Amino acid sequence: MLLARVEGNIVATRKHPSFDAWRLVICQPIGGNGQPEGAPVIAIDSHGAGMHQQVVISSDGKAARKAVGVDKSPVRWLVTGIVDEHEPGKRI
Amino acid sequence: MDLLKGGRFLVVSPFNREQFAKGIDAKPGMGTDPSLVVYDDLGGGVGDVIGYEEGAEAAQPFEVSPPIDAINAALVDEMFYNPWKG
Repeated sequence: MLLARVEGNIVATRKHPSFDAWRLVICQPIGGNGQPEGAPVIAIDSHGAGMHQQVVISSDGKAARKAVGVDKSPVRWLVTGIVDEHEPGKRI
Repeated sequence: MDLLKGGRFLVVSPFNREQFAKGIDAKPGMGTDPSLVVYDDLGGGVGDVIGYEEGAEAAQPFEVSPPIDAINAALVDEMFYNPWKG
């Protein structure tokens, strides 16, 4: 799992059928100091994460396939939670 | 290979942060990360922006596991990106 910040979303008409009706958000992995680390990834989101909100994303393909309910889905990244606060430190 | 019939292989350059910021209508260019070969059965073309999956998940849509490392999962029509500036 990675801490990430939501920085946008994408729209795709032609896609694997398992992504139908799923929100696809652009998540930028961040470090403990809130700074970006590496390239952004696209994750499916069922929580309705807002712009610039911090989220926890998981790369567990099996869990993501279970979430979409299609065993033959190529899905990997999944927003597993929305961060409310950090301990220690303030929200960054 | 019968499994992969109907698809083709695209050479793609992964987006980095700067390219996300430029958007999908920007002139196609190379990113800083190494390019990779992606199996495509959706019909992506040169200059298109796609969403691909890398790793074990790439083989998931098939009955029998094919020898591919990455698959095109979505042709991106629109992208909204607003980087956080701190």
